[in-house]
Amino acid sequence: MDIIGIDLGDLMNERVIPWQPTVIAGPKQALLVTPETAKMMLKKAKRPLFVVGPLAKEEPILTLTKEIAEHWDLPVVTTGDAYKIFKDAGLDSKQNGIVEIVNLLKDPEWKGVKGEGQHDLVMFIGCIYYIASQGLSTLKHFAPHLKTLTICKFFHSNADASFPNMKDEEWLKYLEKMKTD
Amino acid sequence: MVINVAPKSTKPKDFKDDFWKSKDIKISIGEIAHDEAKGGEEDVKMGPTPKPNVTDLRSWDMKLIDRYEPFYAPFCDMCCLCTYGKCDLTEGKKGACGINIEAQQARMVLLACCIGAAAHSAHARHLLEYLIEKKGEDFPIDMGNNVDIEAPIIRTVVGIIPKTLGDLREAMDYMEEQNLHLLSSCHTGQEGSNLDFESKALHAGLMDNLGKEIGDIAQIVALNMPKGDADAPLVELGIGTIDRDKPVVLCIGHNVASGAGVIDYVEDQGIEDDVEVCGICCAAIDITRYNQHAKVVGPISKQLKFIRSGVADVIVVDEQCIRTDVLEEAKKNQAKVIATTDKMCLGLTDMTDEESDKIVSQLINNQIEGALILDPDKVGEVATKVAMQIAADRDMLKLLPDMDEIQKVAHECTECGWCTRVCPNGIPMMEAVVAAGEGDFTKMEELYDNDICYTCGRCEQECEREIPIMSIMAKIGENKLKEQKFNIRAGRGPIQDVEIRRVGAPIVLGDLPGVVAFVGCTNYPEGAEDVAKMAEEFLERNYIVVTSGCGAMTIGEYRDEEGKTLYERFSGDFDAKGLVNVGSCVSNAHIPGACIKIANIFAKKPLEGNFEEIADYILNRVGACGVAWGAYSQKAAAIATGINRWGIPVVLGPHGTKYRRLYLGRTDKEEKWQLNDIRSGDVVSGEPAPEHLLYAAENREEATVAIAKLCIRPNDTSKGRQLKLTHYIDLHRKYFGTIPEDVYKFIRVEKDIPITYKKDIKSILEEKGWEPRALPQEPSIRDFPDDSKAEIQGK
Ligand code: SF4
Ligand code: SF4
Ligand code: SF4
Repeated sequence: MDIIGIDLGDLMNERVIPWQPTVIAGPKQALLVTPETAKMMLKKAKRPLFVVGPLAKEEPILTLTKEIAEHWDLPVVTTGDAYKIFKDAGLDSKQNGIVEIVNLLKDPEWKGVKGEGQHDLVMFIGCIYYIASQGLSTLKHFAPHLKTLTICKFFHSNADASFPNMKDEEWLKYLEKMKTD
Repeated sequence: MVINVAPKSTKPKDFKDDFWKSKDIKISIGEIAHDEAKGGEEDVKMGPTPKPNVTDLRSWDMKLIDRYEPFYAPFCDMCCLCTYGKCDLTEGKKGACGINIEAQQARMVLLACCIGAAAHSAHARHLLEYLIEKKGEDFPIDMGNNVDIEAPIIRTVVGIIPKTLGDLREAMDYMEEQNLHLLSSCHTGQEGSNLDFESKALHAGLMDNLGKEIGDIAQIVALNMPKGDADAPLVELGIGTIDRDKPVVLCIGHNVASGAGVIDYVEDQGIEDDVEVCGICCAAIDITRYNQHAKVVGPISKQLKFIRSGVADVIVVDEQCIRTDVLEEAKKNQAKVIATTDKMCLGLTDMTDEESDKIVSQLINNQIEGALILDPDKVGEVATKVAMQIAADRDMLKLLPDMDEIQKVAHECTECGWCTRVCPNGIPMMEAVVAAGEGDFTKMEELYDNDICYTCGRCEQECEREIPIMSIMAKIGENKLKEQKFNIRAGRGPIQDVEIRRVGAPIVLGDLPGVVAFVGCTNYPEGAEDVAKMAEEFLERNYIVVTSGCGAMTIGEYRDEEGKTLYERFSGDFDAKGLVNVGSCVSNAHIPGACIKIANIFAKKPLEGNFEEIADYILNRVGACGVAWGAYSQKAAAIATGINRWGIPVVLGPHGTKYRRLYLGRTDKEEKWQLNDIRSGDVVSGEPAPEHLLYAAENREEATVAIAKLCIRPNDTSKGRQLKLTHYIDLHRKYFGTIPEDVYKFIRVEKDIPITYKKDIKSILEEKGWEPRALPQEPSIRDFPDDSKAEIQGK
């Protein structure tokens, strides 16, 4: 790539400055991950959970999200009004407000959506950026028993691990990769 | 046992003194009847907590937050309040003072509530003293024949029945002292428990409610604003209603004094037809309550658009929610700014003691860039004279760049994307600019319509090509002037006692599905229609919809397919299908006020000094829910927290999580929902109703379903429960496509099952192994026989 006058370091930074730059909260920042690392995290997790928000309602994200959930056999919680369209598309989920599910996730005693025990990894897609950022902050501070991973096209500094800021084209490639082992 | 170390310098009021004072004033028939009904004021029984100190209602707070545990979403990982810091509070680390992240969040919430309460109450204090100066301290508090309980919050909290403007000072003094103690506990090395910070925040919220009531009562009686008139007139609303050919005085803020000064001057001079007086934010609402010739430009989201349009010749600012760069913005089109309160002086020279004509000439000749005038009457004269003299010369300045020019500048866009990234709502501004650069303005128009872009200006200052995005928006608005004409019902103030008599029983029994109150700023995540659509949905379903402030304005900006606004379609009655605009921000006090009156008028609960019993009554029986949908200031933190202390749940929009704290219930913990049936003395299992006290929804659809659910109360009769569940299920089906799986939690006996959904619900009940349970006769969360819950243990 021919990048005249632009420092490559800047370009890298650009990917890991929180997408809304002012959500930056302090010294603890998310780890930038690729689909490969994200998949490693899913493989290692004993009880992962997939939280899907209303921004994932549109195609092609809807289908990709559904396929990722199915490939990894993930229990799904839908937030906002995402429940209906995913159900119509054949993906069953538990409907919760994002603050409700985060409230449950921060309780180490909670038994998880399947009643089998608290989750140890929560992967997010499609939640509205700034409310998601707040929810991730809650989990960062009050849920040391689990890790958070975001696979939106926005860098989420409050997560433990996040995809970088990306344009749609690159993001779709990332999501495609998430569908395989 | 709680040891009270805060000084209790204010004593409960001596009612005898007050009684004799009240003999001096003219009292209406209504008042006599009321006093007789109460057996005369001497018999007013004082409850246990008149003028509660910071810790006096702590046991109630602990009950609330035991059930609705604080949920923290830190907005910042650090604390920078003192020079030991910044302190990093991540991973269990504590600050140099020993504070942990939870207590720090709660402290920030308390601080926000203190700021909010101070803003409302300093406004109230200013108005009160100004009006006492004008009308005298013996000016009677007469809210008309239909409002006997003129000050439900003051009665319940302070324990007095104010009869004159002067009497309000006692409530004001009490409020100010409390706020001082509360603010002090935010200091380094004071409170250490997050739960106690919460209790203090709840107290600050209550003080906020009190301050608002004082302010609104004072202005209603002294300025003769509507006194609970359900058919208050419709007033004009919208940028398109302002006659640009006339001199225009624009009032921004919340304090009616200076706006009233302008109106008075214009009327005295008989030049009403020659000058436009209009307002933005609550100042607009309150000047139209004062005089219906004034016009409402719109809510806070119109501020920068309208200033940039250059239409206003003179901008009069008072206090709260005003753009702090108003002077800089006004200079761009040579509008003149007059600051009018001690809260916002803008660095301007204090001209209060100068001759009006001298100030006028200095402003016109650009010898001063604006003026600080602390006398509302003088503000009226100066603002009007300046507007009339400069309007003609400013005509040229009201011209915005033409569309060709806009296309040319927009074409400069490098597609860096930062405008969208810095936008609070992530609005696709870049796409709109790019399209405008290609001569397609439809995307810009979409952002303009319904205030999807609320012109905060963050994108414009970030733009590396200095594209004047806000001026482009203002220009788009100019093209759409004809469409920007709406109306709003003038703020009516309190709910009448007769209305409470009529709807008290249906509300408490559940036959009327609920009261939903839309309050607060309009910087909504998806534009202005969000709230109007919610209001419409609940109005059509027979709920009472109450509104105030900027929320009331956006509701007026929405038209149905036939072109009618909701104010034209629905009456202003406090009854099923009524759309009740109570007024400005301070008028929000009438919303808990109505709930308090239900407890008093319908259930005969004494008010004076009886906060806990009243709040417990409201929590368990009055199906009311507040909604503050937009991104909002510290005032909303105080309003919502105060409302919560009365036992009324509130739904916030997604930005609401940035307040750092919600109060969420856990439906999976059955023990949290036990009720004490005061009548039988039995402890019975209850339902999660209301499920949360302070909730944030991600979008309108989620919020709508949540609101319907949050109107359910333990006291509902089976008929009422059926009705409320029908709405909850209908809306759940509409937005989520299914019958909610938690519906079984709200069925106590078979009679509670809505007939339309009988079959489906029965199968859910079977699946969940449901058993019928007793309906409490008088549900309460106080005085459990084994009252371990009342003990204040902390955690
Ligand atoms: S108040 Fe406490 S946490 Fe905050 S900066 Fe000072 S020492 Fe640190
Ligand atoms: S003015 Fe504010 S709300 Fe409008 S697009 Fe720009 S940043 Fe967003
Ligand atoms: S910030 Fe300016 S240059 Fe960058 S995308 Fe937005 S309008 Fe274009």
